[in-house]
Amino acid sequence: MQMYEEQKSSCPVKVPVECRFSPYTDNGGTTLAIAGDDFCVIAGDTRQSEGYSINSRYAPKVYQLSNGSVLATGGMYADGVTLVKMIEQRLEWYRHAHDKQMSSGALAQMLSTILYHKRMFPYYVWNTLGGLDEDGKGAVYSYDPVGSYEKQKWNCSGSAGHLIQPFLDNQIGFTHQKEKAPLTLERVVQVTKDAFTSATERDIYTGDNLEMFLVTQNGIEKTRVELKKD
Amino acid sequence: MFLTRSEYDRGVNTFSPEGRLFQVEYAIEAIKLGSTAVGIQTSQGVVLAVEKRATSTLLEPSSIEKILEIDAHLGCAMSGLTADSRTMIDHARVEAQNHWFTYNERIKVESVTQAVCDLALRFGESANSEEALMSRPFGVALLIAGIDEKGPQLFHTDPSGTFMRYDAKAIGSGSEGAQSELQEQYHKSLTLEEAKVLSLKVLKQVMEEKLSSTNVQIAVVVPITDDFTNKKKGGFSFLTEAECQAVIDQLA
Amino acid sequence: MAMKGKNCVAIAADRRFGVQLMTLSTDFQKIFEINPRTYIGLPGLATDVQTLSELFRFKTNLYKLREERDISPKTFSHMVSSTLYEKRFGNYFCEPVIAGIEKDGSPYICSMDLLGCINHAKDFVVSGTASSQMYGTAEGLWEPELEPEELFETIAQAMMSAVDRDASSGWGVIVHVITQDGVMTKTLKARMD
Repeated sequence: MQMYEEQKSSCPVKVPVECRFSPYTDNGGTTLAIAGDDFCVIAGDTRQSEGYSINSRYAPKVYQLSNGSVLATGGMYADGVTLVKMIEQRLEWYRHAHDKQMSSGALAQMLSTILYHKRMFPYYVWNTLGGLDEDGKGAVYSYDPVGSYEKQKWNCSGSAGHLIQPFLDNQIGFTHQKEKAPLTLERVVQVTKDAFTSATERDIYTGDNLEMFLVTQNGIEKTRVELKKD
Repeated sequence: MFLTRSEYDRGVNTFSPEGRLFQVEYAIEAIKLGSTAVGIQTSQGVVLAVEKRATSTLLEPSSIEKILEIDAHLGCAMSGLTADSRTMIDHARVEAQNHWFTYNERIKVESVTQAVCDLALRFGESANSEEALMSRPFGVALLIAGIDEKGPQLFHTDPSGTFMRYDAKAIGSGSEGAQSELQEQYHKSLTLEEAKVLSLKVLKQVMEEKLSSTNVQIAVVVPITDDFTNKKKGGFSFLTEAECQAVIDQLA
Repeated sequence: MAMKGKNCVAIAADRRFGVQLMTLSTDFQKIFEINPRTYIGLPGLATDVQTLSELFRFKTNLYKLREERDISPKTFSHMVSSTLYEKRFGNYFCEPVIAGIEKDGSPYICSMDLLGCINHAKDFVVSGTASSQMYGTAEGLWEPELEPEELFETIAQAMMSAVDRDASSGWGVIVHVITQDGVMTKTLKARMD
């Protein structure tokens, strides 16, 4: 954000002073989600930065929603917070209107329409939604800021998305490999940790803490792992 | 019925000292002038049947529409001032499509019924900033049939905006006779085929004209498998004239 | 991309040559042998890649005639560095990667920016359009003290997964694993798009 002070001078001629305001900031950070057969892992680092400075070492951007899904928001932190508040409101409205919990698939579509309704002044957020579908299978949906979305098996977006996504292709998708190890919750958690410790080495916007949400039929477990703070 | 008219008859949303809204009650009376419509819910689907009262031999019977589709899984039969149902059906269709657009799932039968009933009391002078939509209550009752995650369901709405779920319900001029007949004949293990026959049997008893494949219309909502997702969903469809005739033939 | 292993190094590159989105050649050589123990990878502007490869061939041949020995990887990297810096203003558009085995058998890798600033690493170096992807995969897959076979598998997996996520790279991968006993070269088919 840049503001220019009104000019104070003895100059007799009034010159229009240009003022600029940029409504967007990128607060960095990386989010990751992996869908298993009967579980889902959604994770994100907790560093919040602005340029070269770190605003907070613990500003979580992964949120557990009231319908049992988990939403990870990358990009601009303030927009993420606002978006989650709005989603929570809509979830409650839905419960009142239809007397049921919104399914992850319905939430996925709703999030897309919420984002697209602000097509001309978007929420500056890269969302990843994780949860279980109606059949109890893991489901991951990823979005761009204007609501284009796709159901995926694994996704990593944010500042270290470029680094981690090909690593996940290899370790979760087993590209270029003959043997495919079974995708257990333990393995997914380990790959997630490895991905973030690796990304922390090379991406200055990723670090401090890793927060993971493990979604299973039995509920949601939240765990935290320390990452490098440099 | 209401022989002693009072000043409370005029204000469409003014309570009488006895606590009644006459205009709403009259609207409910208006339905009893309409042609009879019957809805029956079974475990295999829901049947809607209506009589089409031809006022002239020159009238083209197929132009009388008293059953309409709201969405692929929702149907609706009506009785009363059927023109009033336009507003309601339009609203129901928009609401169903909006729900699908926003949530990528089919709206529940109860939710669409609620949405229609939300319109019912939007008449009279506007109280606050919100514009009143209509000068009088709707003069139509609806039977809304559909299938959702809770299975086949049948709802009845009236001009007061009240809605209730029924196993079987008749509305319109012959509704009293038809309802008592349904009460006697209905049982939980009714098949869809039996329900079709029963609906016509009930209509036949209350209709003035002789029942034929041209002066009745039948529609059903049945569970079908989605070709794409392989999941069960509701499917609304009309019976063709030939299929109608086949049901009539079973009446004997 | 180049990686260190136990008494071995590996260097790998993709085989695509294109101008932005248009693919012009699918068997383009980016890695060049300087001597049996030193290889250089030259990602960047194709004309500079070819000019530089010829220039280094000329310079190393001259070095061999004068010194009567093969140039060591470390010496060679400084030769590359000064060659690039010579053109400080009006530079080559190329960020080289060098891998080799020193005379004492120790592995040597380095990368450079387009002006010749050398970057030594204990584990791996990357360069080119898919560099951020390669950083991610290599950082995740690399381990210390890898044997030649393991090193081959690691660099191949890291490279192929990385180029799959870069639209400007692909059409197979070529890998050279350099040990004291010789060089193992393999051309790998991947997603051919």
